[in-house]
Amino acid sequence: MDYSPITEFIVGQNVPAQTMALLLLLPVVATLASFFRQVVGIKAFGIYAPSIVTFALLAFDPNGLKYGIAIFGSVILIGMVTRYVLRRFRLLYLPRVAITLSVISFSMLGILVLGGATHRTGLASVSIFPLLIMITITEKFVAVQLEKGTRAAVILAAETLAISLVGYALISWPAFVRFILAHPWTVLLTIPLNVVLGKWTGLRLTEYFRFLTVLRQK
Amino acid sequence: MFELLRNSRELLGMNARNLDYIRPLNKRSGREFADNKLRAKRLLRKNGLPVPGLIARIRTHAELEDFDWSSLPGSFALKPNRGFGGEGILIVYGRKRGRNDAWVKASGAVVTVEDLRTHIRNILDGSFSLTNTPDIAFFEERLKLLKLFKPYAYKGIPDIRVIVFNRVPVMAMLRLPTRESDGKANLQQGAIGTGIDLATGTTTSAVVGKSHLIDYVPGTRLALSGIRIPYWNEILRIAVESQSVSGLGFLGADIAIDRDRGPVLLELNARPGLSIQIANLTGLKGRLDRVKGLKVKTTERGILLGKNLFGGEIEEEIEELSGKRVIGSVEKVRLFGKDGKEITVEAKIDTGADSTSVDTELARKLGFRDAIALFENRMGDRDVLNDLSKREREVLFSGIPDLADTAQIKSSHGTSYRPMFRIDLSIDQVIIPAKVSAIDRTGLEYPVIIGRKSLRKFLVDVSK
Repeated sequence: MDYSPITEFIVGQNVPAQTMALLLLLPVVATLASFFRQVVGIKAFGIYAPSIVTFALLAFDPNGLKYGIAIFGSVILIGMVTRYVLRRFRLLYLPRVAITLSVISFSMLGILVLGGATHRTGLASVSIFPLLIMITITEKFVAVQLEKGTRAAVILAAETLAISLVGYALISWPAFVRFILAHPWTVLLTIPLNVVLGKWTGLRLTEYFRFLTVLRQK
Repeated sequence: MFELLRNSRELLGMNARNLDYIRPLNKRSGREFADNKLRAKRLLRKNGLPVPGLIARIRTHAELEDFDWSSLPGSFALKPNRGFGGEGILIVYGRKRGRNDAWVKASGAVVTVEDLRTHIRNILDGSFSLTNTPDIAFFEERLKLLKLFKPYAYKGIPDIRVIVFNRVPVMAMLRLPTRESDGKANLQQGAIGTGIDLATGTTTSAVVGKSHLIDYVPGTRLALSGIRIPYWNEILRIAVESQSVSGLGFLGADIAIDRDRGPVLLELNARPGLSIQIANLTGLKGRLDRVKGLKVKTTERGILLGKNLFGGEIEEEIEELSGKRVIGSVEKVRLFGKDGKEITVEAKIDTGADSTSVDTELARKLGFRDAIALFENRMGDRDVLNDLSKREREVLFSGIPDLADTAQIKSSHGTSYRPMFRIDLSIDQVIIPAKVSAIDRTGLEYPVIIGRKSLRKFLVDVSK
């Protein structure tokens, strides 16, 4: 692998190449999320959630997609069911989120055990941090659910997953990672790119659909 | 496709709204003003603007424990002080029969003191506030539905959203609560939004939900267009003045009409939604661009500007339906005379007159000087010619150049004749060929009267 002198130097200081790659890829993924918000109009749960889920998917590799999507989906599903059950108890916000988190944790444990029992060892060998990341997405989900309803929350969750999948496709593409390590300075380009995105006042792609009836007027 | 692109430049998107309008125009203090409903209420009232009455407020959990629930009236609205998008608002319409501690919602669901307590706890904990910070809950008087709106609104109270920019009302929408929106006048929650013609306060097109166009109130044959909103000028005045009080440069004022009190200002929005563009089937950006940079000194001036710039949709619609143009009782008319002579004058549109007549002096200027001189000459000083037959008249006035005909004018002392010429009129950009008589109109207000024969292509709106 041909590293750039910068990369050579950093790795020479005992920083693992993997760590360096991830740190350099984070701005790229964050820029992707801001592009999706400003130009495409896909909101997701802010910028943190899609970025972190992207890396969680990466951490699930080699079965990133299969397990990542399954776990993300089950977290959201369990979050919805729990809310439905808890509704009648009229709990305050934080206790309600805490209960939801507990239920999801137990369910995850159950899923891992189930995976082990059916000899899907890939699932059980997953490291704990990506799993925790997925679980904490629940708080975002419950917050939106309370404010805007389940429908809006599910849509935002799906959008988050969509952005994460695009991000995952990008950062799990070996040629791209190699390029970043060979030319680490290119990551700095995300700054001017974000300045442009931050000044972008054009219609978002989704707004063309939202306002189609107005656009069709003579 | 080309049209789509052209229209898209008129539309205000989320990016442009935030970056070009909210960020520079709605400073922190203004946003704070709009977000803190209780404070806004107090200041607006101080400035003479009508706001709904405050029944009680609950600031802390201790106050909640001590609250006297029997002090609440039969109907009220419970709101979070810093709520947004209509979230966290609970409205009850009356006490549950035979109970002092339970009320009924629009949906028929029962709300007990215990429900209220939980709801208020959630408000105090900030579940509905913009930043999830602790909040204040308050009870507000519920407005009474105007009779006119009764058939259109499901349970709740319709309200009128007016977008004000630079002291000019730029767009407005009537929001009608539906069964889906649970009696709330909030488009995101499924209410109906109808566009409003700013000049007249008459509804135009309507959408329900995100962008579904509808013509009638669901389940009825009640047209949603053509509703004439009462107190229209007053509503615009409240909207514009609330902008001055709030210090916001770009805002959405929500105004409801109470059966007894008339228009009441419900809420100010520092981040007004963009669906109003769908209800009006028009882009907001095009309108904002036209108002930008104007120096508007008074409320009256701003309202007038808004009406003139953005009104008249109804008129255009009538023009489209009838194929006729709508003109006022006085219009600027351009007269095309001989040899390319053109004169523009203010003319009176008179549906009581048969034909069009112009002042003699004006006719001279239009190139008929010689013809008029000859005509006067032949007339001599006879102004009574009733003993002439048609044949005799033709002989008398024959050979005068440009003379198209003669008009018989009957007066108390007999009949006289006036010369008639062929000219072209341009009324509201439509060219009408006309035979006009030249009559001395010195001392009268308008030098030209447009009669019925020249008005076949027009409808006259006397209020214009």
